Amino acid sequence: MAKEKIQFEVNGKHVRLEVEPDELLIDVLRDHLGLKGTKAGCRAGECGACSVILNDKVVTSCLIPAMKADGGKIKTVEGLETDGELHPLQKAFVEKGAIQCGFCTPGMLLSAKSLLDQNPHPTIEEIKVAISGVLCRCTGYQKIIHAIDYASKATPSKEA
Amino acid sequence: MEKEKTKKKVLVKEKVLEMPPVMAELSTVGKSVIRVDAYDKVRGKLQYGADIDYPGALHGKVLRSPYPHALIKKIDTEKAKEVPGVVAVLTAKDVPGRNGFGAIVPDQPVLCGDKVRFVGDGVAMVAAISEDIAFKAIEQIEVEYEVLPAVFSPIEALKPDAPKIYDKGNLLTTSRVEKGDIEKGFKEADIVLERTYTVPILEHAYIEPDVVIAIPHPDGTITVKGPMQAPFTVRRNIAPVLGIPINKVQCVQTPIGGGFGGKEDSPIDIGARAAVLAWKTGKPVRMEFDREEITLSTCKRHPMIITCKIGAKKDGTFVALEGTIYNEQGAYASLGPVIPPAGGVHAHAVVMLAGPYMIPNVKIEGYLVYTNHPYGGAMRGFGAPQVNFVHESLIDELAALMKMDPYQLRMKNCFELGSETATGQVLDQSVGLKDTLEKARSEFHWNPKWKPAPPVKELEKADKRKGVGMAIGWYRTSIGTYGDGCGVNLHLQEDGSVLIFQGLTEMGQGICTVLSQIAAEALGTALEDVRIVTPDTDVAPESGPTVGSRSTTLMGNAILLAAEPIRRSLLESASELLVIPMERLVIKNRRVYDRDDPNRFVDLKEAARRSMAMGRRMMGQGWYAPPKPSFHPETGQGSPYFVYTYSTQMAEVEVDVKTGAVEVLNLVATFDIGKAINPLMVEGQIEGGVMMGLGYALMEEVVMKDGMIQNLNLQDYIIPTALDMPDIKPIYVEYLNAYGPFGAKGIGEMPNIPAAPAITNAIANAVGVRIYDLPAHPERVYTAIKKRVAEGT
Repeated sequence: MAKEKIQFEVNGKHVRLEVEPDELLIDVLRDHLGLKGTKAGCRAGECGACSVILNDKVVTSCLIPAMKADGGKIKTVEGLETDGELHPLQKAFVEKGAIQCGFCTPGMLLSAKSLLDQNPHPTIEEIKVAISGVLCRCTGYQKIIHAIDYASKATPSKEA
Repeated sequence: MEKEKTKKKVLVKEKVLEMPPVMAELSTVGKSVIRVDAYDKVRGKLQYGADIDYPGALHGKVLRSPYPHALIKKIDTEKAKEVPGVVAVLTAKDVPGRNGFGAIVPDQPVLCGDKVRFVGDGVAMVAAISEDIAFKAIEQIEVEYEVLPAVFSPIEALKPDAPKIYDKGNLLTTSRVEKGDIEKGFKEADIVLERTYTVPILEHAYIEPDVVIAIPHPDGTITVKGPMQAPFTVRRNIAPVLGIPINKVQCVQTPIGGGFGGKEDSPIDIGARAAVLAWKTGKPVRMEFDREEITLSTCKRHPMIITCKIGAKKDGTFVALEGTIYNEQGAYASLGPVIPPAGGVHAHAVVMLAGPYMIPNVKIEGYLVYTNHPYGGAMRGFGAPQVNFVHESLIDELAALMKMDPYQLRMKNCFELGSETATGQVLDQSVGLKDTLEKARSEFHWNPKWKPAPPVKELEKADKRKGVGMAIGWYRTSIGTYGDGCGVNLHLQEDGSVLIFQGLTEMGQGICTVLSQIAAEALGTALEDVRIVTPDTDVAPESGPTVGSRSTTLMGNAILLAAEPIRRSLLESASELLVIPMERLVIKNRRVYDRDDPNRFVDLKEAARRSMAMGRRMMGQGWYAPPKPSFHPETGQGSPYFVYTYSTQMAEVEVDVKTGAVEVLNLVATFDIGKAINPLMVEGQIEGGVMMGLGYALMEEVVMKDGMIQNLNLQDYIIPTALDMPDIKPIYVEYLNAYGPFGAKGIGEMPNIPAAPAITNAIANAVGVRIYDLPAHPERVYTAIKKRVAEGT
C-alpha cells in the first residue's frame, strides 16, 4: 500500500508524516512520534488507556486511523504540562491518591481534561460519566473522581 | 484494646509488639506521603515494558491449540519456515532443557509434544523480524490433532470413566481440616442449614498487557525483562527450561500496570517461551500478548463448587461446620497445589472455609481437580474470595431462618483475642475483628437500616427495593510455606543518601513508597534520600514473590534489620564528630543529635562521609522469615499462617424488581490492618479491592462453552466502570502486629474478599432471594425473584 502524507498538531507542535492507510493513531503517536504515554490495553476501544483528545473530543486512539487525524489537533498526556508545570488535574491526581499502577492514568487525565474544558464545574455524576470509558482495575475510581472534583473546584474558570 | 482485655475470659497471653526505639515518634511512617512514582506516572514518563524500544529484536508468537483435549499427531513447520523474515520455527523437540514450567509444579509444557490440554495450550512458536510476519508464519504451521473427549467439571473429572487428562488421573491433590467430632456437633445443633454454591472463573483484567524481552549474551547468560510480580519465580523456571544454572538467568522487572496475582504466573509462561526463542536464535526476542491472548492463555481465579453445612444452638452459638470443596484447577497445576505446609490456593481455601468463627466441630475436605479448562492461579485473595462467599452467604441465611440480626449472629461467634480457629490455632495477638464490626455498624447505621427481608407480597408493590447486607472476613499475611524468607541490601552512600536492593515489585499497590518510608524512618533520613533499585535478580537478594499480602510486613522487617549496622556506623562516626557517647545520640530527620541537647548535632550526611572516610560499614543486609507455620496437612491442624488481617463490609443495594438489575448505593469497609504505613494508600487498596469484589458479586465471569472462552476481550468480559461505583467508606483500626514492622500486617487482598457476599446478602435482604451462584447478574436475580413470586413464599 502506498503511504499517505498527513499533518496534524500534537501538543502544540506541528508534525508532518507518512503513514500506511490502515495505520492507527495510537501506533503513529507511540512509534513514529515516541509519545509512549498513550497506552494500549485492549486495542478494541474498550479499556480507554489509549484515550487522547482529538479536536476537542476524547477518542480511543486504538480505533482511529491516523489519516482521520489529518489536519487536526491532538493532545496527549505529554502535552498536559505547561513549561514544566503540572496541569491542575495532574497535581490533584498526585496529591489525592488517584494513581496506583498508572496504566490508565493518561486516559483518565485526558478524559477529565476534556470534561473540564467543556464543563469547568461538573457534578460527581458528570465526572463519573466522563471517565466511564476508561477502565481502572486498581483504584476503584473513587480517588480519581475526588481528584477531578478537587481540581475543578481549585481551578479558576480560565484554567479549565 | 482496653475493652477487649476487661471483658475477656480468655486464657491466652497476648503477644505484644516490642517497639524498636525508632518508633517512639514517627517522622515518615504513618503519614500519607506522596507515592514515589506518582510524578512519572502522571506525566506519562514511566516506561512500561511495551514502551521500551529494542531495535533489532525479533518478534515471537505462539501457536495455540484450538482443542481442549487432543493428541498431537504431526506438526509440519516447513511452510512457516519459508515465510520471508522468519528466523526460527520451534516445536517441543527444540526446547533445550526441561519442557515444563509452573509456579509450583512444572507440568505445563513450554510447547506441547504429544498432547494439548486446554484451548490456548502452546504448540509451536515463531521468531520473525516483525510481528506481522510472525503472525503470518504461525498461520502456516500445520498441526494434525486427534481430538480426545474432554472434561469441564471437577465433579465429572473425578468419575472413574472420565477422560484422563494425565496418566496419573485427574485428582491433583486433596486437603482437609478436621476438628472435634462432627457427628456429635451436628447432634447438639438445634438448627442445621446446608447449601451448595458455585463461583465462576475470573480474569484478572490487569490493564497492561503482558510483554517481555529476552536478550541472550555472548557469555552464556540471558536477561529477561518484563512486568513480573515474582522475578525469582520466573528465573527459577527459565533456568531449567534452558538447561542452565539459575545464576545465568537475570530477570529484571519493568513497571507493572496491574497484576492482582495474574502476573505471578503469566511472566513465567511468556518469559520462558521468549527465552527459548532467544536462546535458539541467539538474538533478542520480544514477545507481547494481546488482550485476547491474555484472556485465552494465562491463569484465572479458580472456579469452585462448594457444599457447606452449619449447625447452631437456639441462641445462635455455632456448634458444627462441614464443607466439601470441588476446586477446579483446569489444565495445569500453576499455584493450585500445596506448598508445604499450607501454601497454594487449594490448602488456603480449605483452611479458610470455616471463616473467622469459633466452631468446635469442623470437617472440611477439598479436592483439587484437573479439567480441560484454563488453569487457575493466584488472584487477589488466593482461594479466600470463593470460600468467603460461601460461609458469609450461609451464615446470613441461617440468621434469616433464626430471625436474628445477622450482625448479632456474627458478633456472637466471630474471632476475638484468644479464639481458636478451625485448625486449632489460638489467636494470641492483633485480633481487631470485633472492632471492625462495631465501627462498620456505627458508620453504616446498620441499626436501624437493617430490617428483615420483605414478605413476598411486598415485591409486587414496588419497582425497586433497597436492602442492606454485611459480611466479615479474615486473610493471612504471607504465604504459609516453610520457605517464606525475604532479603534486602541497604547501601549507605557517602552523601547520606541510600540505595535499597530488593526484589519485591511495584505493581500499583505502593510497595516502593511504603518500603522507602520504612527505610527512611529506620535510618532517620528523609524519603527523598532513599531510592529503591529496580528489582533485578542479578543484584537483589532473594526476596520471594510479591504475593500473599506479605511485602510490607516481611520486607519491612528485613529493612529494619538491614538498617541496624548502618545506624551503628553513623552513630560511631557522629559520636567522634560531636565528642558525645553513642548511647546519647539519636538519628532523626537527617540529623544525628544529642538526646539531652538536640542543638548539638551533625547532619546525617556528615556522619555518612566520616563513616566512608574511616572505612566504617556502609551497608546492611537484612533477612527476615516469619514464624514458621506448624500446620499438619494430614490432620488439618496447627497454625498455617502467623497473623491475619480482618474486615467487615456492609453494603446497601437497590434491586430493580422488574429487571433484576442491582445497584450498589454505598458500602462501608472496615479493617484491622495492624499499622497503616501510608494511610492514603491503604484507602486506595481498600477502595480498589472493594470494587473488584463488586465485579465478582455482580458481573464478572469467564464464560466457557465446550472448553472455549466466549468473552475474550473487554467488551464482553465486563469489569466495573466508574458508573458502577458506590460511595465507599474505607475505615481502619490498628491492632498492632507483634511480628510486623511498626505493627503492620497485610492489606492488599483483604478488601477484595467480603465485598461480594456483603452485596449478595444485601440483595437477599432487599428482595428475599438468595444467590447461590456468582455472579448475581440481572438475569439470575430476575429469575430468582420470579421464582419466589411464583412460589408465593
